Amino acid sequence: MKNKYIYGGGIIVVFLAVMIYLFTQTNVQYEQSFTKIMESGKICKATGSWVKEKNYEIDKSHNIFEFYMKDPEGKVMKVIYYGTIPNNFESSTSIVVTGKFKDGNFHATDILTKCPSKYQDQSIQKANS
Amino acid sequence: MLGNFLLTLALLAGVFTVIMYYLTYRGYQNTLTFARIGYHTTAVLVISAAALLLYAVLTHQYQFKYVYNYSGSGMSTGLTISTFYAGQEGSFMLWTFWTAIIGLILLDYTSKRGDLEPRVMMVFALSLSFLLIMVCPLLKSPFNYIWMENDFLDLKNINPAFLNLPALQSFIFSDPQSNKQFVQMGKELHAALVANNVSVNDFIIQGKGLNPLLQNFWMQIHPPILFTGFAMSAVPFAFAMAAMLKNDYRDWIKQALPWVLTGTCILGLAIMLGGYWAYGVLGWGGYWGWDPVENSSLVPWLIGVASIHTILVQKKTQDKGGGSRFVKMNLILCIMIYVLVLYSTFLTRSGILGDASVHSFVDPGMAVYLFLLIFLISFALIGIGGIVYRWKYLTEHFTFEDNALSRELALFTGSVALIATAIIVAVGTSAPIIGTTVQTSFYNQLNLPIAIIIGLLNGLSLLLKWKTTEKKDLWKKSQFFIAITLLLTALVVIFGGVHEIMLILLTFSSAFALFVNGEIAYKILRGRKSFLGPYVAHIGIALFLVGVLATAGHSKQKQIDLIKGEPVKVLDHELTFVGFDTFDNGQKYHFNIEVKSGDSKPQVVSPIMFVAEFNNSLMREPDILVGLTHDFYIAPLGYSNGEENANGTSETMKSGDTFKYNDKEIVFDKFILPEDMSAMMGGGKFRISVELTVNYNGKTEKLEPYMENAGQGPQYYPAESKNADLKVSITSMNATNKQVTLDFSTISGQGKTATPKEVLTVEASIKPFISLVWTGVLVMVAGFLISAFRRSKESLS
Repeated sequence: MKNKYIYGGGIIVVFLAVMIYLFTQTNVQYEQSFTKIMESGKICKATGSWVKEKNYEIDKSHNIFEFYMKDPEGKVMKVIYYGTIPNNFESSTSIVVTGKFKDGNFHATDILTKCPSKYQDQSIQKANS
Repeated sequence: MLGNFLLTLALLAGVFTVIMYYLTYRGYQNTLTFARIGYHTTAVLVISAAALLLYAVLTHQYQFKYVYNYSGSGMSTGLTISTFYAGQEGSFMLWTFWTAIIGLILLDYTSKRGDLEPRVMMVFALSLSFLLIMVCPLLKSPFNYIWMENDFLDLKNINPAFLNLPALQSFIFSDPQSNKQFVQMGKELHAALVANNVSVNDFIIQGKGLNPLLQNFWMQIHPPILFTGFAMSAVPFAFAMAAMLKNDYRDWIKQALPWVLTGTCILGLAIMLGGYWAYGVLGWGGYWGWDPVENSSLVPWLIGVASIHTILVQKKTQDKGGGSRFVKMNLILCIMIYVLVLYSTFLTRSGILGDASVHSFVDPGMAVYLFLLIFLISFALIGIGGIVYRWKYLTEHFTFEDNALSRELALFTGSVALIATAIIVAVGTSAPIIGTTVQTSFYNQLNLPIAIIIGLLNGLSLLLKWKTTEKKDLWKKSQFFIAITLLLTALVVIFGGVHEIMLILLTFSSAFALFVNGEIAYKILRGRKSFLGPYVAHIGIALFLVGVLATAGHSKQKQIDLIKGEPVKVLDHELTFVGFDTFDNGQKYHFNIEVKSGDSKPQVVSPIMFVAEFNNSLMREPDILVGLTHDFYIAPLGYSNGEENANGTSETMKSGDTFKYNDKEIVFDKFILPEDMSAMMGGGKFRISVELTVNYNGKTEKLEPYMENAGQGPQYYPAESKNADLKVSITSMNATNKQVTLDFSTISGQGKTATPKEVLTVEASIKPFISLVWTGVLVMVAGFLISAFRRSKESLS
């Protein structure tokens, strides 16, 4: 009777410990301020919007996609994404890239675009004011 | 108005039903008839409301805000029907609709099984009532009129015949940023239209339409199946609550089992279809991205599967006359299935996931957020409250010891492993609540060892006998299986190139499960076929694991440029881009690629690309060459017809600079700035031109490409000279440095470089044995169905 709880409890403790450890290892924070991203150099999810005026570049031979992103304060950084341009990149309202800032550029391993379709058209709301 | 009326009435009838069933449960006579009438009324009202919404969608009644926002004219009937559930309101409506229908079946089922009906239906009707609050006019009713709240409608969606109405003029606005015109819809405009005898349905002729990402076959079947699964998840909850109300834990097990099996089966199928959608149409490359929305329906499914196993143990131990095992666990698991479905709904609908997911809904507003929370907490409290209330009785009556080598314990361990997986996925998915998120490696690393354990138990539990097994017997029985599994694993390691220890173990455990279940299934096939269910389901999961293993470890991908007519070798296939054709009234493009592998006949794959008007962006759809051992997956990335860039050259110039291109001399004279500088400063429309002098063959010509800015960023307009065979376009200009970057090209396509080439860029990949992922799940679903059939027959006895 006692044994059951000791074994069971032991397994649960080990399981939770491993899970919490991996959670802290793989956990990625959202970060809006590019200034902070550039300072910390840690892996994070940078959220911002694409700088349309600066266009984007696709390097097919190395499978690299480069573009510029800016945060709400207008700070711009160059993003180098190791992969191909995502669907509806051009029409995205905001972009979330996962990666870290190194050597003057943000090196992204994952990219996620949010599209205006999911939102009530906010730009239109503004037209009223 | 009618729709909201029906829904409000349905809510009242639903609450009435709950009360009547409660009174019946408390021993009142005569109230049972009222309760049944109440439930049937509720169901009829809900079905009528759903029919009305379907009618509104099919007849394009844009007077409803929901129909305007999510539907549109000009789609196929199937897709038009699918706009029924394209948004929050409609998908809640679909969920409510299925719940009402499931309730009708449940009512009939429970009425034939003793005094079950009042207790089960009371709880079930309560959950239906909560859903009805969700779709009531104050929260998320799809029947709210478009003029109830002010909204701006794009002028192109308005019937041009009415644009000249004098009353309309004060409602037309233009947005300088996007250069679009809008009509302000609201109570005032509605009054004006009514005064002019114009119906809103005539006034608005087009809706915003369905997101092109959703415009495909899977949108028509995935959500309805998913919501059937969601609706059915309330049934085990109702049964568990009913058992606790009566404080009798014996019969509910066999009565609930067919429902748990069917519900889990349907939910599993829906999750798989979602995965196939992501793989085959959306071009995400994989079938599972650990996206929070996918995850959140996986968690209740895992708990459902876990509950099936422990329910089975309780049933078996009861039938053998021993004490019931895992009574507490079964109650908790059945309650958790529904609570987790509600939690999943809360996560995906409340807007809390925000940036974390590709397809979560956006912020629905405070009232809905709060109500979702109340919905979740109420049912969690009802369930947990019941358990706490009965806990003392349960521990006193149902505590046992198991022999280490018994099927009971093996099944229990299997359930625990599934619960562990569910916890991992739930924790990872919930991370955005505390403002963070986990990488996919979190799921992969943690779930891999559990998958190995599940595979082993999958086979082992069937070699063990109920109650207790002699070690010698077990060894004798399993020798053969272990031997052939080891042999197969060795072959995979040597020839398949699997070298990672965890993957080798997973290969071993899933092959072991496959052989054990295969052998038993083969034996049964000649006997009572209705007993096949569990083995078929287990074979399915083993096949699925093998598929996951092969695809995850051995997918190869490569990005390539295909020049029209020139074959390219990639990943053992020879690809030739042969050209494109248009479909859907010329709006979409098939890019046809001839694929040859080995000596086989060439096959044509046609990935699709098009620019969607809906969100003005490039949509890409992959095409797949499905094979037995692997899929050859081609995702389109881009296409260039070669005219613009292939023969051009680019140069950054300062005023006064000269550039030579194709024996032509081009001089950048100066910028021509707008005469009225105030427009430039004030954000109005202005133009800056670049004055160029072109000298060729002794002639001189002036060219003026220009940039125009109307407040939404610069637009560049090229200039060309036919005589000089020259086209000049601006790529960028920098006013402060007085520099401009220009693109030079020939109009005829002749020049320095060869004739323009059509280039299609694609990503080709090989996905080995991915078909096993789909067949695995389908086989598993079949197993569930066979079991559900057998158990529903048994539940009557």
